[in-house]
Amino acid sequence: MENLLEQLLNGIQWGSIYALIALGYTMVYGVLKLINFAHGEVYMVGAMVGYYAAGFLGVADAPSIGALLIVLLASMVACGLLGALIERIAYRPLRGAGRLAPLITAIGVSLLLQNAGQLVFGADPKFFPPLIRSEAALRIGGIAVSNIQIVVLVTAILLMGGLQYVVRRTRFGRAMRAVSYDAPAAALMGVPVDRVILGTFVLGSCLAAAAGILVGLSNPKIDPLMGLMPGLKAFVAAVLGGIGSIPGAMLGGILLGVIETLVTGYLSSTYRDAIAFVILVLILLYRPTGLFGAPQTEKV
Amino acid sequence: MSLLEIRGLSVRFGGLTAVSRLDLHVDEGSLVALIGPNGAGKTTAFNVITGLYAPSDGSVRFEGREIGGAAPHRISALGIARTFQNIRLFRSLSALDNVRAALQGSRRRGVSDVLRLGSWSASERAAEAEARGLLDELALGAFADARADSLPYGEQRRLEIARALATRPKLLLLDEPAAGMNPAEKQALRELVRRLGAKRGLTIVLIDHDVSFVMNLSDRVAVLDHGEKIADGAPEAVRRDPLVIEAYLGRDGEDEA
Amino acid sequence: MRVRSLAGAVAALGALVLIDQIAPRLLNPYFVTILSRIGIAVIAAVSLQLVNGFTGQFSIGHAGFMAIGAYASAALSVFAGAEGLELAATFVPISVARVAYFPLALVFGGLAAAVVGIFVAVPALRLRGDYLAIATLGAGEIIRIAILNIDAVGGARGFSLASSAHPAVDLRFEGLGGVFAVAALTVLAIARLVYSGGGLAFRAVREDETAAESIGIATTRVKVEAFLVASFFAGVAGALFAHSEGYIHTNSFGFVRSFELVVFVVLGGLGSISGAILAAATLTAAPELLRGLGDWRMVLYSLLLIAMMLSRPQGLLGQRELWPISLLTRGSR
Repeated sequence: MENLLEQLLNGIQWGSIYALIALGYTMVYGVLKLINFAHGEVYMVGAMVGYYAAGFLGVADAPSIGALLIVLLASMVACGLLGALIERIAYRPLRGAGRLAPLITAIGVSLLLQNAGQLVFGADPKFFPPLIRSEAALRIGGIAVSNIQIVVLVTAILLMGGLQYVVRRTRFGRAMRAVSYDAPAAALMGVPVDRVILGTFVLGSCLAAAAGILVGLSNPKIDPLMGLMPGLKAFVAAVLGGIGSIPGAMLGGILLGVIETLVTGYLSSTYRDAIAFVILVLILLYRPTGLFGAPQTEKV
Repeated sequence: MSLLEIRGLSVRFGGLTAVSRLDLHVDEGSLVALIGPNGAGKTTAFNVITGLYAPSDGSVRFEGREIGGAAPHRISALGIARTFQNIRLFRSLSALDNVRAALQGSRRRGVSDVLRLGSWSASERAAEAEARGLLDELALGAFADARADSLPYGEQRRLEIARALATRPKLLLLDEPAAGMNPAEKQALRELVRRLGAKRGLTIVLIDHDVSFVMNLSDRVAVLDHGEKIADGAPEAVRRDPLVIEAYLGRDGEDEA
Repeated sequence: MRVRSLAGAVAALGALVLIDQIAPRLLNPYFVTILSRIGIAVIAAVSLQLVNGFTGQFSIGHAGFMAIGAYASAALSVFAGAEGLELAATFVPISVARVAYFPLALVFGGLAAAVVGIFVAVPALRLRGDYLAIATLGAGEIIRIAILNIDAVGGARGFSLASSAHPAVDLRFEGLGGVFAVAALTVLAIARLVYSGGGLAFRAVREDETAAESIGIATTRVKVEAFLVASFFAGVAGALFAHSEGYIHTNSFGFVRSFELVVFVVLGGLGSISGAILAAATLTAAPELLRGLGDWRMVLYSLLLIAMMLSRPQGLLGQRELWPISLLTRGSR
């Protein structure tokens, strides 16, 4: 029983990471109908920037919540810029060029970031400084919950809550939803579609950056290729929840994290990475629109 | 027994009823026009006949056989061909290849294509000859090797008809074949359709929302409005039917009954 | 057979013998390896072109089929072929036995890949566009991870093409003639399949599925056919790779490899066999020759891809073919 609780907790922890990354995929797909393959690399850059920022700002030796917040902010700003840059240079020129060209370009950007990352950051793994001193903070149901786990969960919840607020209660959020439903109509209504899309990329990238920092906190070993698998898995999470649906991405992420952890814990760890893809294939076969997605019909 | 027999056909998409309890029969060798304002359900009816949608209720029988819900390529094999409202040619293929695709595309592929022994070449040449013949018949011979999307608009519509004819259908469904044409082109099209019916013994169902276009052409006219049939009979009678007039004038004034 | 085709076949055979025998003597072994890799890349790229370029289905997990072909054929060779060859060597010269066996291994690899291809194709091809792409990506990864977990073929250590029971038997087949022969046959087969009356179905499905259905083409079956043929040849390419390298690891068949193949067909021009050949040859040779650039190689590669998509998305040749292809497909185009 304790083992199950522990697994669940780990699963939810990883699941929130997936959820944060998945949100970026789902929002961009919502407004552009594009799978931003490069998104996983933004998460990686987030972790890297956090690493260098922590070193540069000297907070590596002074762990505290404040240090975390500063590094978080620095990383989110950097990645927000990166996301905006990618959209502007690689995707915007291909608006209206069909579905294939942007998809291929996205994969190209992903490869570029991975390999440039290896050149710039060095291919060897780095160790993310402990921005928060790890200590067992709580005991729930007989298992120890570390303060880092609490920080990760709380941060993730706050960020997701913040996103929900933006999407549901602000003008920008309304504009984003309008563009998702019907971009041409939104444009006719005076919505600045280009800026909304740019903003969507920035938002998604900020969340991915945060995910990178949170992973750095809990799994300190980071390297330039760390974005590939989590990126793909977060994408699966987005599809699981229904690509284009924000609550879907959140739920999909948590679900994927929990399933992955449970299967790895109780069955086999060698198939860990395969689980996400099996879920992907099952979802695509039996419910392609995901848990919260709406079925689409084509007019002949 | 009619060639095509539709009974009680209803088509619903979620909360929207596109076609409601439609009864329509089409006798062999006749030309029936299906008219009505935009959104009346005419193309939906076509889509059900050709297998793109399944009926929500009712039956569609072709040559006595129920075809409702069958796959489109099976329905094509049974002898029903169609053109599309928004022209769906194989755009990067040549006009010739568009027709050849209809003639040969459904045959089995395999080792004979790779080995290319004697009989293979002969059958390929025969198919090409038949395709060219069809293009010539529809005055498209000069465009045989041109990309389909490079053809002028009227020629593209005729090419779609040529492609449909290549499947040697018994029933031809033409969805707004005259859309976007000027009066001279419409007249030429009218002649062509008449010829197709007469020379090949084709049964034709024609959709158009231009009432005058179909008047001199069809044996019978059926009128749909909001998914329901509101009139069905000889062209002259339908033209004067008050329900029909109201359906048209109540919507867009440019279409004159 | 017509005289012209016979003459052509003889000439091709002559050229192959020449390449097989002369090239290794004239060229540095490193270049011979590059040529061999080019041949394999061409086979894989042309097979993918059938699905992506001609049938319009976006498959991005193709390396998975190469993996199946590589591992299946390697397993055959190690666990059965070695013994069979040793046995055969008591009746015929070993070189004859090897020449007889090699095509078997290739075909076996191809068939194994095709069987897996059916399992992937039937469910995946119900999906369209982005969803299909992701499904094939997922399939490729599942295949790779599954193989990685099979201890009998080495697992994470990789698999060597050497039988411990019959260590004297050489299971490697490094002849350029073999690689180029298979490459030529692949190009011939796929070109003739596509550029024929029945082959128009592939392009019809690419252009407009609804219209294709309306003229009697069973679109799902056509897509599955394309997928099967493509996975067969990808399996053959994988088998060739296994038997020329002598050692395989699932790392060679991951998403990066799949993506490389996609780059070949897109940069060459979706719908052009000649384009795929050119791109596969150039992009396989260039990084090898530019090895001095080290890590910059992949960066340049991705920049090139992005630049190409931004400036010339139809690729090098678009849907056009160079004349050698029409030479092969005379009689129908």
